[in-house]
Amino acid sequence: MHYEDRLVTAFTGAAVAWALLGMLAGVYVAAELVWPTIDFGLPGLSFGRLRTLHTTLVLFGFGVSALIGTAFYSVQRTSHVRLFAPTLGWAIFLAWQLAIVLGGASILAGWNAGKEYAELEWPFDIAIALAWVSFGVVFFGTVATRKVESIYISNWFYGALIIVVAMLHVVNSLELPVSLGKSYSLFAGAQDAVVQWWYGHNAVGFLLTGGFLGMLYYFLPKQAEQPIWSYRLSIVAFWAFVYTYIWAGPHHLHYHAVPEWVQSLGMAMSLILLAPSWATMVNGIMTVSGAAQKLKTDPALKFIVLALAFYGLATFEGPMLAIKSVNVFSHFTEWTIGHVHSGALGWNALITFGTFYFLVPRLAGAPLFSARLANAHFWLALAGVMLYVLSMWGAGISQGVLWLSLDNLGEVRYSFNEVMAAMRPYYLLRFFGGLLFLAGACLMAWNLMRTFAGRSTVLARPPAMAAGVPA
Amino acid sequence: MPGRLSILQLGKVLFAPAQVFQSVAAAPPGAARVFFGFALWLGLLPPLFAYFGTLKFGWRLGVAPVFLPQPTILAICAAYFAALLLGYVTSSVIARWMAVTYDASQSLGRSFALMAIVGAPLAVGSVVHLYPHAFFNLLVLVPVLIWSMYLLYRGLPVVLATGPNRGMLMASALIAYLLVALVSLFGLTVALWGSGIGPLLGA
Repeated sequence: MHYEDRLVTAFTGAAVAWALLGMLAGVYVAAELVWPTIDFGLPGLSFGRLRTLHTTLVLFGFGVSALIGTAFYSVQRTSHVRLFAPTLGWAIFLAWQLAIVLGGASILAGWNAGKEYAELEWPFDIAIALAWVSFGVVFFGTVATRKVESIYISNWFYGALIIVVAMLHVVNSLELPVSLGKSYSLFAGAQDAVVQWWYGHNAVGFLLTGGFLGMLYYFLPKQAEQPIWSYRLSIVAFWAFVYTYIWAGPHHLHYHAVPEWVQSLGMAMSLILLAPSWATMVNGIMTVSGAAQKLKTDPALKFIVLALAFYGLATFEGPMLAIKSVNVFSHFTEWTIGHVHSGALGWNALITFGTFYFLVPRLAGAPLFSARLANAHFWLALAGVMLYVLSMWGAGISQGVLWLSLDNLGEVRYSFNEVMAAMRPYYLLRFFGGLLFLAGACLMAWNLMRTFAGRSTVLARPPAMAAGVPA
Repeated sequence: MPGRLSILQLGKVLFAPAQVFQSVAAAPPGAARVFFGFALWLGLLPPLFAYFGTLKFGWRLGVAPVFLPQPTILAICAAYFAALLLGYVTSSVIARWMAVTYDASQSLGRSFALMAIVGAPLAVGSVVHLYPHAFFNLLVLVPVLIWSMYLLYRGLPVVLATGPNRGMLMASALIAYLLVALVSLFGLTVALWGSGIGPLLGA
C-alpha cells in the first residue's frame, strides 16, 4: 500500500498554474493604475473585475491548492497511513479546480456577491462548502486512522484551517438568492460589516497564517533535517493563536459605524496576537539556525529563511496598523496594500515556493532540474517584494499626510484626484516589483516542470510503524 | 592593539568596503571609538540635509509643496537624528545578542563597526534629502538600501567572525529586525502626529 501522492502532484501543479495566472492578473491591474486606458473599455478587463479575479486566483487557486496538496502530503507521513478515502480526495481536486475556473469566469462576467474575498456568488458558495467539508472528511479521516500515537503539530494547524474556514465561509455566505447570478446577504448594515470582517480577517488568520504555519511546521524540520526547536512552544503558540485571532476582525472597521467597544476589543486582541505570532517565528528561526550547513546545497531553505523574516515583519506590522491612532492615518492608503503583500508575497508565496522546491524533486524521484534557476528566482522574488513594499510604504505615507492636510478653513486641502495623480510614480515602481516577482515565479514553473518532465509520481510507502514517534 | 574606524576613512568605507571589513576583523575597534569617531558624524548627515532641503524646497509629495516654519523643521530634524542614533545603537546591541545563536563574535565594538559600515552608504545617499521630493528620495535610496543589504550579507561573516552560512542566516534575522524597526518608526511617528504632536500641515 502506497501513499496517495499523485493527488499531491495534481494539487501542486494546479497551485503553480494558478500562481502564474493570479499574479499575472495582479500585474495587469497594477499596470491599469498607471495606464488606466489599458482596460480598452472592456468590462471584463476593468479594474473592479480584474482585481477581484486576482485575489480569488491567488487566494483560492494558488493558496488553497498549495495548502490542500501539502496537507495531504504531510498528514499521510505524520500518520503513517495512506490518505483516507482517496477517491473523495480526487473529487475535491476536480471540484475545486472547476469552481475556480467557472468562478473566475463568473467574476469576469460581472457576477459579484459584494463581499471582499468572498465575491463568488451563491452557487459557488455551495460548491465550495461541499468541497471544503469533503477536505475535512479526508484529512480528519486520515488523522483518525493514524498509526502513531500523537498528532503532529502541523496537523493541528491544518485542522484549525479546515474547521475555522468552514465556519467562516458558511456564516458569511448566508444569503438570499434572487437569480442564478445574484444574491443578497442575510445580514445588513453594521452586522453585515462585522460578519464580513470576522470572515475577512480570519481568512487571513486561519488560511494565510494558520494553514501556512501547518506547511512550515512540517516542511521546515524536514528541509533543515532538525527537529522543531521547541515542540512545547509550538503547542502553546497554537492555542494562543487560535484563541486570539478570532477576535481581531473589527480592527478593519475602526472609526466606522460599529460600537466603539467592538473596535477597541479588536485592537486589543490584535496586539495580543503578536505574542503567539512571534513565538512561532522564533521557533522557526531557531530551528533553521541549526541547519546553516544545508544553505549551501539547498536553494529551498533560503526561501524559508526569507519567508520567516517577512512573516516577522507582517505579523508585527498588522497589530501596529490595528492601533486606532495609527489606523486613522494608514486606513484608505496604500500602506495597507503594502502590508498585505509583505505577508502574501513575502510570507505565503515564499514559504510555498520553498516547499515546492523541496516537494517536487521528491514527488518526481529526481533532483531539481536547476539549482541556479532556483537561486535566480530567490533574488528576483526578494527584489520584487522589496520594491513592492517600499513603494507602497512611500505611497501610503504620502497619501496619509495628504488626506489629513487641511486648509485655513479646515477643509480637506487636496482633492481625491490630486492625491491619486501624485501616486502614479509609486504605482509604476510597484508594477515593476510585481513584474519581477512574476518573472521569478515563471522561472520556478519552468524549473519544476523540467524536474518532472517524462516522470510519474514516486509511489512511496508508509515506513515500518514506530508508535509515538512523529515521522 | 585595538583598531580604529574614523570618519576620515569614509572614502574607503564607501568604495572599498571589503578591505575595511578585513581590517576591522583583524583589529576590532572599541564600541565608543566607533560611535564617537564615525557613526555620530554619519548620523548627522541625513537630518542636516533634510533641514536645508525642507527649508528651501518644502516637502514635495507630488502635489503643491508643503512649507513648514523653521522651528518645526528643526524639531523634526532633531527627532530624526535621535531616531537614527537610537536605531543604530539598538541594531548593534541586537546584533550582539543574536551572535550567541549564530556562533559569531559577541564583541560590541565589532557589531558597532559592522552596523556603521553597512549604514554608511545610506547616510551619504541621504544627500537627496536636499531636495525632499518623496518619490525622488525613494528612487535614489532604494538602490542604496539594496547595496547596504548586500554589504550586510557580505560583511557580517567577516566582521563578526562566523561562517558564511551562519552569517547568511544571521544577516536575514537582522534584516527582519531592521524592517520591524523601520515600520515601528513609521507607526510611532503617525501615532504621535495623530495625537497632535508634530507639524501642523495647513490649518
